[in-house]
Amino acid sequence: MMLVVAEQKAGRLNRASWEAIAAAQQLSAGSVPVSVAVLGSDVAAVAAELSAADVSGVWIVSHPQLASYTPDAFVAALAELVTALAPTHVCLPHTYQTRDFAPVLAARLDRVLITDVTGLSRRDGVPVFTRPMFQGKLVAEVVAEGPAPHFVSFQIGAFRADSATRGSGAPVTARPASLQGATLRQTAEAPFQESKAAVDLSQAERIVAVGRGIKAQEHLALAQQLAAAFNAELAASRPICDNGWLPMERQIGSSGQTVAPKLYVAVGISGAIQHLVGMKGARTIVAINKDAEAPIFEVADYGIAGDLFEIAPALIAELGKA
Amino acid sequence: MKIAVCIKQVPTRGWQPRLNDDRSWVRDADISYEMNEPDAYALEEALRLKEKHGGEVVVVSAGPARVQQVIREALARGADRAIHAQDDALGRADAAAAAATVAEAVRNEQFDVVLTGLQSDDQGHAQFGPVLAERLGMPHSTIIMEVQVVDGALRVKRELEGGWFQYLAMPLPALLTIQSGINQLRYATLKGIMAAKKKELRVVTPSAPVASRQRVLSLSLPLKAKQTVMITGAPADAARELVRRLREEARVL
Amino acid sequence: MERETLDVDILVVGAGPAGLSAALRLTQLQAAQGGAPLSIAVVDKAREPGAHSLSGALLDPSTLADLVPDFMAKGAPLACPVTNDNVYVLGPQKKFRLPITPPPFANHGNYVISLSHFVKWLAGQVEAAGVDLFMGFAGQSVLYEGTRVVGIRTSDRGVGKHGTSRGAVEPGADIRAKVTIFADGVRGHLTKDLLRTLQMGGSQPAQFAIGLKELWDVPADRLAPGTVIHTLGYPLRQEEFGGSWIYALPGGRLSIGLVVGLDYKDPLLDPHTAFQRFKLHPFVAGLLDGGQLVRFGAKALPEGGWNTQPALAADGALITGDAANFVNSMRLKGIHLAMRSGMLAADTACAAVRAGDTSVTQLGAYKAAVDASAIKRELYPVRNVHQAFGAGIVIGAAFAGLAMATGGRWPEDLQGHAGHTRMKTLSDYYGLEERDRLVGSNAVTPDRVLTFDKATSVHYAGVHHEENQPPHLLVQTDVCHSVCGPEFGHPCVKFCPANVYEMVDNGAGGRRLQLNASNCVHCKTCDIMDPYGVITWVAPEGGEGPHYDGM
Repeated sequence: MMLVVAEQKAGRLNRASWEAIAAAQQLSAGSVPVSVAVLGSDVAAVAAELSAADVSGVWIVSHPQLASYTPDAFVAALAELVTALAPTHVCLPHTYQTRDFAPVLAARLDRVLITDVTGLSRRDGVPVFTRPMFQGKLVAEVVAEGPAPHFVSFQIGAFRADSATRGSGAPVTARPASLQGATLRQTAEAPFQESKAAVDLSQAERIVAVGRGIKAQEHLALAQQLAAAFNAELAASRPICDNGWLPMERQIGSSGQTVAPKLYVAVGISGAIQHLVGMKGARTIVAINKDAEAPIFEVADYGIAGDLFEIAPALIAELGKA
Repeated sequence: MKIAVCIKQVPTRGWQPRLNDDRSWVRDADISYEMNEPDAYALEEALRLKEKHGGEVVVVSAGPARVQQVIREALARGADRAIHAQDDALGRADAAAAAATVAEAVRNEQFDVVLTGLQSDDQGHAQFGPVLAERLGMPHSTIIMEVQVVDGALRVKRELEGGWFQYLAMPLPALLTIQSGINQLRYATLKGIMAAKKKELRVVTPSAPVASRQRVLSLSLPLKAKQTVMITGAPADAARELVRRLREEARVL
Repeated sequence: MERETLDVDILVVGAGPAGLSAALRLTQLQAAQGGAPLSIAVVDKAREPGAHSLSGALLDPSTLADLVPDFMAKGAPLACPVTNDNVYVLGPQKKFRLPITPPPFANHGNYVISLSHFVKWLAGQVEAAGVDLFMGFAGQSVLYEGTRVVGIRTSDRGVGKHGTSRGAVEPGADIRAKVTIFADGVRGHLTKDLLRTLQMGGSQPAQFAIGLKELWDVPADRLAPGTVIHTLGYPLRQEEFGGSWIYALPGGRLSIGLVVGLDYKDPLLDPHTAFQRFKLHPFVAGLLDGGQLVRFGAKALPEGGWNTQPALAADGALITGDAANFVNSMRLKGIHLAMRSGMLAADTACAAVRAGDTSVTQLGAYKAAVDASAIKRELYPVRNVHQAFGAGIVIGAAFAGLAMATGGRWPEDLQGHAGHTRMKTLSDYYGLEERDRLVGSNAVTPDRVLTFDKATSVHYAGVHHEENQPPHLLVQTDVCHSVCGPEFGHPCVKFCPANVYEMVDNGAGGRRLQLNASNCVHCKTCDIMDPYGVITWVAPEGGEGPHYDGM
C-alpha cells in the first residue's frame, strides 16, 4: 500500500494534502491501495474530511505531544507508523513542515527521499519522478533506489487537488502513537504572523505586472485597479521601477524578484529575457500586449494582442461581475 | 562555541545549463562556480555567533577538488579552519549521500552548533541539513531567520508559509538550516584573503564509496508544452472569454 | 569602519595577461635571485580571474613559451592550433575569398584560445607560486605623493544609490607599494587618471575599436577546429574601419565577432546592430544555422599602435599591456605583447625595488627594455597602419601592404586623431533636409534566433551589478539635455552595446538621459567615443560586471 501523510494546523487541513493524495493515486494507478495518515491531537474533523477521498483508510495518529508540530515528535510517530505499515511509498506535500521533518524521517529509517516532485511516469515498470534542478533551469527524471518504502514529496501545485478521486467514505481508524523512548528535544511556541513592511511577491498567489506599455505614471492607477480586480499583488518589469513609478521591491526579473504564483498577468510587458527568468515558473500566465510578436506570448498560456487601455477596463468590468 | 558551517559550491546563478552528450548530467567543463547563497548567510550567521559568544568557526565542504574555491572564500571571510571531504563522486551526489559523507568526516569534532543553508541552488533537495542532523544525533530546525543562544541552548525563529513564524527552543548541540536574508553578508577583506592561505584545511577521503540513492535517468530543458491560446475579439468579448477560461480551464479564479 | 591598509613591494593593478605575467615573472625572479622575499599583490575588479577577459582570440605562443616553457605540461588551455586561415571580403549577400592570405592574417603556429580560460589558468599559476590575488577589488583612485605614485585606493563597498549605505559601508583599502604596475586593460580607468594627472600622454592620441563577440554552439561537424576566418567589408562601409572574425573551437563551439573602429563618422552608427547584420549575411548565417547562442560580450581594443603608447614610467609606476596600447592592429594580436610587457615591467620593478630606487629614472629601464624587445620589433614597422585607415579602407589596406613591403620605413609618421573627434554632426553627415526623417540607419528587428536585441545580449553576457549603488558613469548631462540631441542625435544610445544609455521622456515635453548602469559590460566605449568627451567611466563595486565564461 501507499501511505499519504496529510498536514493540518490547528484543526484545518492543508489543501496540499489533497494534492499529495492525487499524486499517490496516480503513482499507484490502482495497483495498490492508498491510505492517509494525519497527525495531531484533536483531528477528528480533519480525518472526516479526508475520508471523502477514494482511499482504503484514514489513520488518526494522535498523541499529546503531536498537538503542535515539532520535528522530533512527528519523526518518532511516523517512524513507528511506517515501520508497522510497511508501505511501498510514503507521499507527502512539499510544504515547509514536510521539509522540516521528512528528510530526518527518511534518514532515521535509512530510506531514500525524493523531494519537490512535479511529475510521475514509468519506465520498465519502475516509477520515474520528475523534479526541477538548477533553480528550474533543468528538469530531471529520477528513480529511487534502495529498499522500500521510498519517500516522495510533491511540489505544491504540481498536482491538482481536485483531481484526487473521491470515494464513498473511507474508514477512519485511530492509531495513537506511542512515542516510547523518543527524545523530543524541541519546544515550540505558538506561531505568529508578522506584518511585513516590505512586500513579498514570492508569497503572492496572483500577480498583475506592468511594463513599458503602461506608458505614463498616471496610468498606473489602471494597473492598480486591474490588480485589485484580480485580487492580486501589483508588480512591474524593470523599466517601471527604474523610472521610480513603483518601488524596487515590486520588480520582477533577474535584477528583482523571482516568483511562481498561480496566476501572472503581464500587462504591456514585452517579455525581455531578464523579465522572463523572473516569472516563467508561474502556473498560468496571461499576456496583454499590443505587439502580437512580443516574446512574452511565447511563455503565456493565454494572450490578448490588443490595446491594454481597452482590455484592462474590460477585464475590470468582467471580473466585477458575480 | 564550536560552530560548523556546511557550504556547497554550486554553478553561478547566471549560468546557462548545457547537457553532456548522454544527458545524464550537465557539461562540467564550462561551469563557473560560487558559494551557494543560503550557505553564505549561514556562514555569516556563524561568524556573528562566534563574535558574540567566542569559539571557532569551521567550514566544512564536500565535493571534488574544485570546492576549495568556496572553502577559501569562507576562510577569507573569517572562518578559522576547514574540513574538505573530497571525492569526485560528490560532485553529483544527492543530499543524503553528501550528508552521510560529511557526518563521517566531522564525527570526532563535537560541534556545538552546525549551520547550513536551507537548500542548494543546484540540486535543491533541501535535505542535507536535516539528514546531517540525524546522522550526528542532533536536534534541528529549518528555514531559520533568527538565532539566539540562551543559557547553553538555542532559541530560533523559524519561517513558515504565508508570513507566519514560530519560535523554537532546543538544547545544544543542534543543527539549523538558514534562510537567505537572515543577516547582511560581510565582504572578505585583503587581510582576510591573505590569512586564508595560512589557515588549516584538512582533506578527508570518505572511507566508503559515496552512494546516492537517487539515480538521475536524464536531464532536459523544460519543454515549452504550452500552446498559447490567443483570445481575439472586441475588448469586452475578449475579457469575458479570458475570465471564463481562467475560471473554468485554468482554475485560478 | 576603519580603512584597511596594506603595504607591499610591488602592486599589480589588473589580473589580465599583462598583470598576471608580471606577477608570475616576479616570482620567477624571486626564486632565481633569492634574497629578501618580495611582497607582491595583484588586484582586479572581476569576481574571478577571466570573468572580464574577452578576445577572439588567437594566441601567438612566443611569449608564453618564454614565461612558462612547459606550458603544455602545466595544462595551458590552448584549445587548438590554427589549422587553416581564410580571409573573405563580404558584400551584402556575397563573399569573395582572397586567394592568398595576407601575411598579417597568417596564423600558422598560433592557437585559437578562450582568453578567459587562459587568464584563469595563468591566475592559477600565479596563485600556486604564492602570490596574493585580490579578486573583486575595484580600483577607485591612484594614490600620489606629489609626482610619485604610491599605490591605489580601492572602492568603497556597500554604498547605496544616493550615497546612503546598504548595511555597513566598508571603506576602500589603501594598498601602498614601492612600484605599482598598471595593467588595467584597454582604457584602464586608473591608467587614464595616471596619464592625466602626471601628463604622461604619448606623442599621439590613443585610438580604439570596439569588439563585439558571441560564442555559439553549432553542430560539431560544421567547421573543423582550428579554422580561422577573417572578413572585411560588409556590414561596414568603405569609410569605416573594422572587420570580423570566426574561429572554430573544438566541440562545435564558434567564436564570432565584429570589430568596429571607434572613429566612424556616422553619428547614428550602432556597432551592436552592425554585428547583428553581420550574422544575417548568408555566409555567416549558414555557419550559425541550427546553433545556439551561448554568450555575448563587448570590449574596446587599442588600435593606434606604437605611436600611441604613453610615457611608460613615472616615479613608482609602470604601464603595461592594453593600458599602454600595445596591440598589433595589423595582426589583430595583443595578448603576447601584453604578456611580454608585463614580464619586462616585472624585471624593471624587481631590480628597482632591490636597488632601493623606484624613481622614474630608474624605472626608465622598462622603456629601454621594451624598445629592445620583440614588442618594438613587431609594432614599430606597422606604426602608421591604423592611422592610414583614417583615409578609408582602400587607402589603409594599400598602406598596410606598403608597410609590410618596406618594413615600416616611411619618411614621416602619420598623425592620428582621437576617434571621437572624427564623428560628424547630424547636419554634416545626413544633410539638413534628411535630419527630420532620421531612423537608425542600420536598424535590425531581432529574430531571436540569430539576431538579438541589446537587452538579450546583456543577459547573455552574464552581467550582474548591485542595483542599489551610485551610478558608475559620470556624465555631464547638461550637454545631453541641450546640444547633443540636435548636434549628434545622442550617439551614446547607439554606441553602447548594452543599452546603458537611454533618452526617456522627462515628463515636461522633453527628454532626459536615463542610465541603466547595471547593464554595463565594462567595454569602455562610452568613455572613448562620446563626441564631447563628457562621459567618464569609473569602476562599479568590485566583484561585479559581466561574466565572460569561455570568452
